[in-house]
Amino acid sequence: MSWNSIFRPLLRALVVGIGLLASGRAWAASESPRATIVRAILTTDDTQKRDLIGSLVGQGDEAIREIFTAWREDDLFVYTAPDGTKIPVELTGTKNSAGAQTAVRVDNGESLQDATGHALPLAAAKLTAVGHDARLRLAMKNVVDLLDLGSPLLAKRLRAIQTIGAAQKADKIPVLEARGRVETEPKAKDALRAAIAVIELADPSDDVKLKGLAELRELHPASCYDLIKVARDKAETAAQPAVAKAATAALAAIDQHKAVVNFYGTLFRGLSAGSILLVVALGLAITFGLMGVINMAHGEMITVGAYATYITQHIFGEGMNFTIPFVRLAIHLPGMHLTGWGYQMFFVAAIPAGFLSAALVGVALERSVIRFLYRRPLDSLLATWGVSLILQQLFKLTFGSNNVDVATPVYLSSNWTIYDVTFDWNRVFVIGFAILIVLGVWLALTKTPLGLLIRCVMQNRTMAACMGVRTERVNMLTFGLGSGLAGLAGVFVSQLGTVGPSMGQEYIVDSFMTVVVGGVGSIFGTVVSALGIGLSDQSLQQILLNPVLGKILVLLAIILFLQWRPTGLFAAKSRSLD
Amino acid sequence: MSHPILLVEDVSKTYDGFKAISDLTFYLYPGELRTVIGPNGAGKSTFFDLITGRARPDKGKIEFGAEAGPNKDLTNYSEYEINRLGIGRKFQTPSVFVEHTVYHNLVLSIKGNRGVFASLFHRLSSTERDRIDELLKLIRLDNKRNWKSGLLAHGEKQWLEIGMLLAQEPKVLLVDEPAAGMTDEETHRTGELLISLAGRHSIVVIEHDMAFVKQIARDNPVTVLHQGHVLCEGKFEEVQANPKVREVYLGRGKHGTR
Amino acid sequence: MSSPPTVPLRPLVRSRHREFLVVGSILGLLAVGFPLSNAHGWMDDFTITLWGKYLCYALLAVSVDLLWGYTGLLSLGQALFFSLGGYMFGMYLMLQIGMLGSYAKSGQNPNGLPDFMVFLGHTFLPAFWRPFQSFSFAVSMVFVLPGLLALVFGFLAFRSRIKGVYFSILTQALTYGAALMFFRNDFTMGGNNGFTDFKFILGHSLVEKGSGPATMRGLFVVTAVLLLLVCLGCHWLNGTKFGLVRQAIRDGENRVLFSGYATANYKLFVFVAAAMIAAVGGALFVPQAGIINPDQMTPDKSIEAVIWVAVGGRGTLIGPIIGAIGVNALKSWATHAYPDSWLIILGLISLMVVMFLPGGVVSLPARLAELWRRRRPATAPATGVTKPAPDRA
Repeated sequence: MSWNSIFRPLLRALVVGIGLLASGRAWAASESPRATIVRAILTTDDTQKRDLIGSLVGQGDEAIREIFTAWREDDLFVYTAPDGTKIPVELTGTKNSAGAQTAVRVDNGESLQDATGHALPLAAAKLTAVGHDARLRLAMKNVVDLLDLGSPLLAKRLRAIQTIGAAQKADKIPVLEARGRVETEPKAKDALRAAIAVIELADPSDDVKLKGLAELRELHPASCYDLIKVARDKAETAAQPAVAKAATAALAAIDQHKAVVNFYGTLFRGLSAGSILLVVALGLAITFGLMGVINMAHGEMITVGAYATYITQHIFGEGMNFTIPFVRLAIHLPGMHLTGWGYQMFFVAAIPAGFLSAALVGVALERSVIRFLYRRPLDSLLATWGVSLILQQLFKLTFGSNNVDVATPVYLSSNWTIYDVTFDWNRVFVIGFAILIVLGVWLALTKTPLGLLIRCVMQNRTMAACMGVRTERVNMLTFGLGSGLAGLAGVFVSQLGTVGPSMGQEYIVDSFMTVVVGGVGSIFGTVVSALGIGLSDQSLQQILLNPVLGKILVLLAIILFLQWRPTGLFAAKSRSLD
Repeated sequence: MSHPILLVEDVSKTYDGFKAISDLTFYLYPGELRTVIGPNGAGKSTFFDLITGRARPDKGKIEFGAEAGPNKDLTNYSEYEINRLGIGRKFQTPSVFVEHTVYHNLVLSIKGNRGVFASLFHRLSSTERDRIDELLKLIRLDNKRNWKSGLLAHGEKQWLEIGMLLAQEPKVLLVDEPAAGMTDEETHRTGELLISLAGRHSIVVIEHDMAFVKQIARDNPVTVLHQGHVLCEGKFEEVQANPKVREVYLGRGKHGTR
Repeated sequence: MSSPPTVPLRPLVRSRHREFLVVGSILGLLAVGFPLSNAHGWMDDFTITLWGKYLCYALLAVSVDLLWGYTGLLSLGQALFFSLGGYMFGMYLMLQIGMLGSYAKSGQNPNGLPDFMVFLGHTFLPAFWRPFQSFSFAVSMVFVLPGLLALVFGFLAFRSRIKGVYFSILTQALTYGAALMFFRNDFTMGGNNGFTDFKFILGHSLVEKGSGPATMRGLFVVTAVLLLLVCLGCHWLNGTKFGLVRQAIRDGENRVLFSGYATANYKLFVFVAAAMIAAVGGALFVPQAGIINPDQMTPDKSIEAVIWVAVGGRGTLIGPIIGAIGVNALKSWATHAYPDSWLIILGLISLMVVMFLPGGVVSLPARLAELWRRRRPATAPATGVTKPAPDRA
């Protein structure tokens, strides 16, 4: 893959992206579909009726489907008003005692009213039904079949275009062309061109085929791959070298496009996986890298953050009940019963909640256990492993051993598709937030008085204590900061993975490896290694099509990497041994 | 003069931008007793680190071997290999095996095969026993042979480490501040011991205590290190009279730091 | 590794022999007494099998202690070596099932493949499985494969001077990676479910009413005797110069390096030996437990074994045995009596031992004596410095 082939799509993607933002206005027709249908109902000439209905082809109004269904099911009637005007209506709903039903006007979709403005139910028996014959029904079916083509929903439109194209019926070309003239969405426009080109593949003439293939080569739609392949095979058996060659070229274009899309997709997924790893490992880089504490309960700090999100969500909603195990203390958290955007803001509130709750647990852990073990790293490993077991079991007893559902707010649940690469908002958010957190931590450590204190205590506890620094408090705050970062990671992870009592265990090995590879004590090293591990993990998954094997290979690579650089990527060189 | 047993030429070493050693050249001849002095941060301990393989020089040549001809390039060897070649080191802070008895410290240090399987089936020979007894008497820890060495006083640990160094029977002894933490009487005895070892061994001593330096230097050359390179070299009196040395040592006093 | 100076981590040499005598006689009594009482019906079959498993865990604990207690290497890979040994022997046991498997009974398995392979659609035994038909091959692989893995991994790790917590983290990753591999079905090692449903060992039934308990008694005797031999080996090792070097590495590796010892080789020797001891434990565990699966292989299991050693007393011969049996007996009881609380109990144990009793249970008498002395300063002045006991090698 050349650089050109990578950057050119990037440029195009940018242009397309701008186009996407600009679009949004619906296409306008001169006469509303309802008015056309009314005219068709009232005219007596069958040919004109069919023409009027045929003119609706390519429209996307869902009302058409509804009215045509009523028509075919003999629910349309013509009501003659007292002033003599004929009003087509649809009778719906249950019959009242007089056998009358609600009458809905076809021309505006509102219920029929009498002169005084009261609803006027009508009885079917007293009216004449609007008739239809086989040819008319066919015309209507044609309209309904192509209805999705004009749907205001882009996804629906695209699906309809693809379906029509895949059928390869030449008679649909004019419809597609007509639609292409009014279509404003660039993606739909391209899809229409592709559909026409695919239909042209079925044309007996070589020239038409070649024209279609040239178009397909330019558009490289992945959905047409199989049809082009069929066309190529046919051309080969029919000894049409020019067509076969053009088809091969079109297929190659699609393949190349796919490779580019995969490349960017993998890059994006790798970045987002790396970002999660980064936020998880950043907390560890502080507690392990700066403080030298092996906190095996770091994973449980992630769990605390995730459950904090879960609880916040319920407080914004209906509230929740749970029981604290052993002391059997039943707790009722009242809900705020918010709906709509108010409720959706729960995630925003969960971010500080996750940070603070994990930081509090971290401070409690530091005060009760870790402060006694600063000079015994291996013992701190064992003690915190014990803490991790206790916490996991407490989560299990409090929230149940099954995973809990954490809702995804609307502003994180959609995606952007640029140049066929899907960018999920939650992943984009994770990347963006990871950048903010790294910046924040970096600023906190280098530009604030607290950061200065942290760095000086971490370098030499005894000396700092002699200089009058309250090392106890700095230790506590530093550990709280590291744990709080893990809590933040938990808030993210609640959006991307499962939330359960043992979820922290999935991250602990990876995050320790990240810190070791990055170089203990180096925040920058952690950033580089988290992104590196995230990217190589995702790329290997893409190449091997096997997530577990990819993970094993990454672990092996890390072990071999440490052969080459035992102290990691950016270890601080120091004269002091051990 | 004969070929130096230890040859250090144009060696530099930088830690995080700090030049601990710069373009240092130093020769040690067989049987020599050399004293190295210099103010704090002159690079004395780093100098030993480079010779013993604890640190690798950024550039320069460090060779070992009394004979002319191809000598051992120490920069290619690891710590234990350099020790096996015959370079023993006493650290600045006494480092003995604190959980082992005094006796076992010497058993671990006594010259002999240091391989894994050799150590599995090693039995102390009577010669080795005698040698250990002799050393215990020399370092005056005979009556504390079964003490855990971590319980020894600072000066005793220094002596034990010297004993461990002697047990290895190295060709070159690198002795870092042997007199620290010793009484005057012990210091004097250490000096006597070092002087008696010279001749059979080649010795480099790093020291701060000027009285001690004067005692052991006698007619032997003294090297003054300053900011990672050799400031001057010569007899003790010459060095003492050297204005540059006076400036380095005494100049610091003017600013009231020491 | 630091600890309060009043609690000696390693008993002084004179009591070393006494310690071995205690361990030896207890294990000897177990090896003879338990099978005899079982044969006479004084002890039920379940109990002797349970104790057989405890002794396998004790082998695992001894291997952890050899590394951690004596050499200062906290390996979180011992559960991996334990399971690897188990899997190697398990392959032999799986092939002994033959036509007694459930697929074979219904005629769907004419080649007598292990059931999980039939389930995965295999029709022939994979090539690497075939030699495991032989008992002696399987037994030699119990030593060779874990030993080889330890040799390669240890060589790489010690060569690049990975030590302390980094060694722990790296062995943890190794174990984690291996567990992921064994969880996979296409690795043809039984996937999630591992190996189970064993029927025969060397022609002796493991499950039949009459001969099954006799086979289990035999396995118990073999386990106890092997544990005794391993303890004897450790005891011997402690008395050699190797033992001195090893302990010196634990207390200050750099000094050892500057004394001319290639510490990496010493550590590698201990690491490989410990891997093999753990593997033997695993190999004996599998027929007695009747199952081996990747759950046994996780880093958590390794840490659990470290906790046994911590509870019993690191750096001692008897500590890991007491710890392994004690904690697992507690587990057997607690998982039935308080199933919700077991993990919390285990967590609290590890927390408490590390913080308040770093010397483990075996240091308890000395600790209590110390407290007793402090409470009565009139009879014994509490100077804090205890005169070291004479230590004659």
